[in-house]
Amino acid sequence: MYPTLEPHLKTSLVVNDCAPPVIETHDLAKTYMGIQALQPLDLQVQQNSICGFLGPNGAGKTTTIKLLLGLAKPSGGRAWVFGKDIVYESDEIRRRVGFLSQDPRYYDYMTARQTLRFTAGFFYEGPKAEIESRVSETLKLVGLADKADRPIKGFSGGERQRLGIAQAQVNYPDLLILDEPAASLDPIGRRDVLEVLTRLRKHTTIFYSTHILDDVQRVSDTVIILNRGALVAQGPIEELLAWGQAVSFTLTVKGDSASVEARLRSQPWVTGIEMTSKNGRVSWQIRVSDPDLAEAQLVPLALAGGGVTVCEFGRRAQNLEDVFMNIVKESNHER
Amino acid sequence: MNANSVSLIPSRERGWRMGLANMLTKEMGTWLRTRRGWSQCLIALLLLNGSLALNLKSGQRVDQAGLTFLTIAALGVPIAAISLAQESILGEKHSGTAAWVLSKPLRRPAFILAKLMAHGLGLLIAWVVLPGGIAYLQFIVEGGMQLSRIGFVKAMGLNYLNLFFYLTLSMMLATLFNGRGPVLGIALLVAWSGPMQFIAQPMQKYAPWLDSIMPWRLMIDFGRSGPLAGYLALGTPLPTVVPIIVTILWCVLFIVVTIWRFRQEEF
Repeated sequence: MYPTLEPHLKTSLVVNDCAPPVIETHDLAKTYMGIQALQPLDLQVQQNSICGFLGPNGAGKTTTIKLLLGLAKPSGGRAWVFGKDIVYESDEIRRRVGFLSQDPRYYDYMTARQTLRFTAGFFYEGPKAEIESRVSETLKLVGLADKADRPIKGFSGGERQRLGIAQAQVNYPDLLILDEPAASLDPIGRRDVLEVLTRLRKHTTIFYSTHILDDVQRVSDTVIILNRGALVAQGPIEELLAWGQAVSFTLTVKGDSASVEARLRSQPWVTGIEMTSKNGRVSWQIRVSDPDLAEAQLVPLALAGGGVTVCEFGRRAQNLEDVFMNIVKESNHER
Repeated sequence: MNANSVSLIPSRERGWRMGLANMLTKEMGTWLRTRRGWSQCLIALLLLNGSLALNLKSGQRVDQAGLTFLTIAALGVPIAAISLAQESILGEKHSGTAAWVLSKPLRRPAFILAKLMAHGLGLLIAWVVLPGGIAYLQFIVEGGMQLSRIGFVKAMGLNYLNLFFYLTLSMMLATLFNGRGPVLGIALLVAWSGPMQFIAQPMQKYAPWLDSIMPWRLMIDFGRSGPLAGYLALGTPLPTVVPIIVTILWCVLFIVVTIWRFRQEEF
């Protein structure tokens, strides 16, 4: 059973920390022309954490981020960043935040250096030499020092993304909000972005939305999962993974798969089955409540009716992707 | 490592001015660093001074050539203002750059005012000061006309007021609509209703008061009473100042509505 389905589990997963949360929302909601983009949302992001904000497309991640930054107005509820109200104290919030949007756009006629100089100009009024030094340092941090004086019109997707992180970081923000920072990047670009995030983690709180669950598992401390505009889980990543540790097994057979599946489903310790078939072989991901019993019984059960060859069998450790998929699936079934 | 731990001086702009200086510097930069500045100057010179030179060379009477100059300015200036307002408000809304800068410490009124000031200044130089100065010389040298320098400056002031009216109108429309069609359509309809005789004549018949509340009389021979800019250029007393005052009030109203509407905008 995953935290999505039990409302009390959602709250039990919230990190208890003495420091006040950097982001806190109470029933934060958003409706666009009668469509509920975000259902009343309660979330918390703790100081100096890297919080992965997950959810399928249209889950409400970008809407939440826009609300936190004052780019959209909430239809209901309240939220605070650094204890400041997002509606009435947005100016103070934006002074301490760095933001990278999902599809970052800049003024194409500017160079990377000019873009950072312009961004820095919103935060600092001088001295000029210090601003230039900050700009150069930030360009170096994201590996754009050698392209600093080229117009960004000719930048690749990865270079734009790195510039995006640079402009979000130029004011040394207390909170970095990144909307899909590694989307549209090749594996090397993704690795670079993750490296930058890891380097920044000791200085700032990072709240970032993504689809790439591998990345979340590698760098995040906490995870928040939205689905269809509603919160379905939030908490430290280890707890979330532990919740998902309803161990699963992989079983692949050739032959009369229907009777095997019927026998598997009839076992009380089998909590879920997903089937895939390829090249005349059928594979099941079998979630179980009693791993020892399952380990001993699954192969004999498969072979019990005859006419079946077991090609593959093994215990499978769950990763965040499994947890995420199950949480989202179960939350969809609930509705 | 945070904003306060280094020797950088945090910006002190607060309230509606937050981010204004930086945004204004950037907007002025687009006039100087991109082709916007020189292309606007070139178009204005070709259109206004080029047509004036042709008219004077072709033997047109100087006063008639002057009227034509003002009419061409009245027709051309709105197009420049409309295209700039569209690009800077709608273009930024659609491209996502507006959302980007507004995620920084920049107030929405400052975003609008920076654009208004930069475009106001850029258009003043490109469409009023430069072509106006050259036209003054053309009238004297080629037309042999004695023009009062102060009167001519005042006439160019009305030219600028006319331009500013369309700049603020287009900026307001760009915040009220999301498509380019309505912005272009409405602004051009307003701009060209005066000079187009087939629209102007029925208007003069059925709604004669319109000429007092619209900027047409500033620059064109609306209602056959002569453009107010013409009176100023020749140093003769103005028959009325109502269109001038009303146009100023329109500009103020448009700016207020633009800021109000942009504050409601969601990105």
